[in-house]
Amino acid sequence: MTIVETRAKRGDAADGALGGRLSRIDGPAKITGLADYALEHHPQGMVHAVLVESAIASGRVVSIDANAAERAPGVLLVMTPDNALPIKSATDWLNTPPSDAPYEPLARSITFAGQHIAAVIAETFEQATAAAALVKVYYEEAPAIAGLDDPKAGDGMPLDRMTIEWGDAHGALANAPIRIKHEYRTPREYNVPIEPHGLIAEWKGDRLTVWEPSQWIDGMARTYAEWFDIPFENVELRSPYIGGGFGSKALALEHGAIAINAARMLGRPVKLAVTRAQTFTAYGGRPATRQTIELGATRDGKLVSIVQTGANETSMKAVQVEPLGSVTSIMYATPNFSSRQNVVPVNTVKPGALRAPGENPSAFGIECAIDELAYEVGIDPVQIRLLNYAEEDPHARKPWSTRRLREAYAAGAEAFGWSARQPKPRSMREGNQLIGYGVAAGTYPVRRTPGEALVRILGDGSVEVASSGIDMGQGTYTILAQTAAEAIGVPVEKVRVKLGDSSLPRAPVAGGSQFANLITGAVHKAALAARDELIGLAINDPNSPFRDLQANTLIVENGVISSPRDTGAGVGIAEIMQRTGRERIEALRDTLPENLRNEKDHFRNFTTITTMLSPTDGDYSLHSWCVHFVEVRVDADFGTVRVARMVSALDSGRLYNPKLAESQWKGGIIMGIGQALLEEGIVDARNGRVMNNNLGDYLVPTNADIPDLKVISVGIPDTHASVLGGKAVGELGIVGVAPAIANAVYHATGVRVRDLPITMDKLT
Amino acid sequence: MFFGLLLVERPAALGTYCHQNGVKTPMTNQISLNLDINGKSRQVTVEARVTLLDALREHLELTGTKKGCDHGQCGACTVHVDGERVLSCLTLAAQVEGSTINTIEGLSAPGDALHPVQAAFLEHDAFQCGYCTPGQIMSAVACIREGHAGSDDEIREYMSGNLCRCGAYPHIVDAVREAAKELS
Repeated sequence: MTIVETRAKRGDAADGALGGRLSRIDGPAKITGLADYALEHHPQGMVHAVLVESAIASGRVVSIDANAAERAPGVLLVMTPDNALPIKSATDWLNTPPSDAPYEPLARSITFAGQHIAAVIAETFEQATAAAALVKVYYEEAPAIAGLDDPKAGDGMPLDRMTIEWGDAHGALANAPIRIKHEYRTPREYNVPIEPHGLIAEWKGDRLTVWEPSQWIDGMARTYAEWFDIPFENVELRSPYIGGGFGSKALALEHGAIAINAARMLGRPVKLAVTRAQTFTAYGGRPATRQTIELGATRDGKLVSIVQTGANETSMKAVQVEPLGSVTSIMYATPNFSSRQNVVPVNTVKPGALRAPGENPSAFGIECAIDELAYEVGIDPVQIRLLNYAEEDPHARKPWSTRRLREAYAAGAEAFGWSARQPKPRSMREGNQLIGYGVAAGTYPVRRTPGEALVRILGDGSVEVASSGIDMGQGTYTILAQTAAEAIGVPVEKVRVKLGDSSLPRAPVAGGSQFANLITGAVHKAALAARDELIGLAINDPNSPFRDLQANTLIVENGVISSPRDTGAGVGIAEIMQRTGRERIEALRDTLPENLRNEKDHFRNFTTITTMLSPTDGDYSLHSWCVHFVEVRVDADFGTVRVARMVSALDSGRLYNPKLAESQWKGGIIMGIGQALLEEGIVDARNGRVMNNNLGDYLVPTNADIPDLKVISVGIPDTHASVLGGKAVGELGIVGVAPAIANAVYHATGVRVRDLPITMDKLT
Repeated sequence: MFFGLLLVERPAALGTYCHQNGVKTPMTNQISLNLDINGKSRQVTVEARVTLLDALREHLELTGTKKGCDHGQCGACTVHVDGERVLSCLTLAAQVEGSTINTIEGLSAPGDALHPVQAAFLEHDAFQCGYCTPGQIMSAVACIREGHAGSDDEIREYMSGNLCRCGAYPHIVDAVREAAKELS
């Protein structure tokens, strides 16, 4: 169990309150190398598993010759579908009941290159790696569909549930005086957390301990329990630190089942570290997308219709949707609208969630298209966005809870110096550099799931907060210490936060940018309950100096209980606890509605996403908003694009810790710069393999790619969105960055690039 | 001929064995090394093919040095060998016998004040998930010592061997700039 000691920023007490700029309290462990990430444990007798993957993208495994591998030094087991112990199917995260068929994480039937087909377990990592290379696999190969652009892929299957329509979109478009129509494309993109996936699994009887980076302890623990047919309580999943996830570490994956099964078969703890190359196929990133957007407008730039048709690739076995209509349907006011989407099965691993799934490519389409319309009708790109400003949610027909997008345009334009922009493309230049200014907006919904938290006041006056929720860098440890400190009335240094262990109170997924809001809400509630009990103790206990006073006359501040009527110095919490003989005050609280407050729904709430409220459940439409202003410099001869500077104005409601929220925003913006200029999974059309499955060829931004970034918070507390007034933070920043850069590149060069990434070959 | 040798099957019986916890453990080409790590002499017996990174993480309980790619592409495994930053995933443990090795754990002793680079990383929030951070810090210490922290652009260039997917780059530049000032 990890206890993170609080370390406040030097000498500024106000930073400890909620909303203060406290440095992250898990920071000291991370900067000294003492933070224990999952794969850094060494249970007695641990051995190492290495995966063997399919070299073909489609077909079947005819046979596996493991003789040489089995005879190699140190090898304990070559696990294949033929000798693996059976595993049961599990309920999925949507609460879909499992099938009766067994779950087979090692495949016989191959639907993508890189699929796990065997695993070698040996005494050492080196022995397992060497032996894995000796496993001979005989295949029967079938034709494969390499990706969305493969002619064999076709148009895919329509997904009627993704259709969004109002008015007469096609009729209005046909009659519009201005019509533009273009296709926008985003490639396969990968999460690339610097900590690769992996786990250590250890069995003791029918109890399973798993050390594994996880964005969702309880969801993954449930899957493991069901796969291996043991009670949920028998799984202990530990994940105190997570080396990045960005959506990819929320669900149990095949390699997890393989490692746990190997540990069961061998009776020894097994460590399985997914190699960097395998991270491109052991799970999926953002699927490739394409979308055609048609805008109909008046001559002065007022939208009369939007018609969108989109598609994303998915795997052969499952439907993964990247909702391309999510931003298109809410960003601008239009009387007529149509959005439809297909999914196209190809021979790939099932795509997954990567920062703002849906909103990200959706914004790329509409925010480029509206820019194209601005040039078409000769209006400033900021002005055309204000001209078509949606005063309410045009899809849900509900008022926004808060939408500080006008303020964002104003603040961003002012700080950026947008007024210096020359309207014509290719009209700004410095030496050999073509200069372009671009703008685009973004949004991310506020998702809401009830939470749970435990808060303890201990005899020494310190406070403990506990949750199975996690901190992968968003700042959970820190903002929970701030929340509890403020609610109870103790200095933040007095608060210890325990996270990332399934033995702690339940938590839903840290995904969809929902976690900070729901967990601060739960901690706030539990902390207030603990404070109430403390005050009750102070006024009821015969040994208390405050006995017989009224509860509402006492205040707790800086760890001291006092009565404003009393001019005395007050009494410390520890002293009250001591005088009243209490070792601890403990409050476990959840924020479930009454109708879900039963054992079954409680479990469902924390192990599936079926209780998550949509942003338009209730009277308001809840979203975060942002605007990015970009200056690019493009080499006139070579077409190399550099982002020279960026100003972003963002509305995430109230920020619980602006220092950490700004870091998350900037992180999203930087990932967006990578998406715009660098990132692209390249698939070999001949064999369906991801060719650039390494960090030297799948390019993510380096320090030298990133200029100084300015972020401006324009949010105000939004208590419709969450108890404490925050909205979505983590996924907001990336949304709108790629179109802002594409728009700036057009302004610089006069070349409109509609398929990401914007590489030099597309500009020259 | 050379490749032919590599492909020869090696029956397990030709290996050497030791008995550990009652388990028969096959060993291949084990070597004993005496490594100077963070000012301490450390003995380790590993296979000759074990990298410095895996020796630190799997055999010496120094897990502050991180494995991000195992191919010298991400920088998470950066340590100092004889004062210079090296990628420990591309260095065999056997190569560094006789050298001075410094890892993140040796930068400031537990309980002592943080190294100025560590303190600046904390103050400027120059990390989020923390996984690339030890490598970033070891690179930053060397970057400053090399005299490559003269301007923001120079810092960016000389810190570009360390990838950060959380996107802490602007804050890393802030931290290195401030630490360089303090160390000058």
